[in-house]
Amino acid sequence: MDAAYNLARWLTRNDQDARDVVQEASLRAYRFLDGLRGDAKPWFLTLVRNACMTWLKANRPAELSGMDPAAPELQQVEEETPETLALRALDRRMLNEALAALPAQFREVLILREMEDLPYQDIARITAVPIGTVMSRLSRSRRLLADSLRAITRASEVRQ
Amino acid sequence: MTRDEADKEISAAIREHADYHSAPASLADDLMAALPVDEETTQRPRWQRWLAQGAVMAGVALVTWAATMGYLRPGEDERRADEVLAGHVRATLGKRLYDVASSDQHAVKPWLSARLPYSPPVADLSAQGFELLGARLDHVGGQAVAVLVYKRRQHVIDAYVWPARGSTAELALKRDGFNLARFAASDMAFWLVSDLNRNELDDLARLLARQADAL
Repeated sequence: MDAAYNLARWLTRNDQDARDVVQEASLRAYRFLDGLRGDAKPWFLTLVRNACMTWLKANRPAELSGMDPAAPELQQVEEETPETLALRALDRRMLNEALAALPAQFREVLILREMEDLPYQDIARITAVPIGTVMSRLSRSRRLLADSLRAITRASEVRQ
Repeated sequence: MTRDEADKEISAAIREHADYHSAPASLADDLMAALPVDEETTQRPRWQRWLAQGAVMAGVALVTWAATMGYLRPGEDERRADEVLAGHVRATLGKRLYDVASSDQHAVKPWLSARLPYSPPVADLSAQGFELLGARLDHVGGQAVAVLVYKRRQHVIDAYVWPARGSTAELALKRDGFNLARFAASDMAFWLVSDLNRNELDDLARLLARQADAL
């Protein structure tokens, strides 16, 4: 239940909507319990994820642009050796902000991998993309997050 | 700092510092309220509704537990299925389908209980189209187990039976063209394996479960 709520909360970025989405998914789960084969957690998370996507489509269509599975992944940025992230200086708020600002398809793989510790195979099932795409999205999203954290840190240094 | 290290650092940062949103306690209550209930239950006294809620909570806990257990030891059922299938294939390859040939359940059952530390339920189901050919002993999961051998048309069906331990949830598998089914009845775990089609194998599963429960 926590995993479901956490995923929904990060995708909708809003407590009330996360509640609604989890409720919606639970009702579906309850109705389609017969269809359950094997492991319950990825199965339920798939329902939650799909409910989130439906919600995003209805309420935040802009966020889903570029989520078309056929669309090419975002352009690879110029490879450069990243400078050390001053993670000690990094506060919780900045990290949360940066994570929330990531495009939805990158946010969801990070949540599933880093917070739920799910194997790649399950993530691929939940997000309905091939396992290779999961891996490339993961590394891409880690880099995007690192970049935006660096930007936030620099901006706050300028302000001070 | 290399890419890998940067990735590890980001990964650790998320794990340690990003907010994890646990489900609020009130969400479970809302869910309970939203689940379809019929007229009757809504009019029951308070304590009965609490009891029902408790049962649902226990159900949720059970599902979570089952999922976790399945997650922690995914190999158990797989190994059992492999052993059962291997035993079936070995028996059908050789000439040794059974050690005791009899369609009389009153001959087969004592033969088995004399050789095993338990007495499996044995049923002759020839009236339902599953002829009992006999039984043999096999070795599964580190112990000697009973195998009842049935025949339907030209298909041989092995029914492995042993006292239920661990997971006995119903399973339906297909391996290398063989159908397997697992179920439990009267404290015994059954594994059926055959090249028979899924429907008829499930019929046999139902018949055996009914017979075992009736004994």
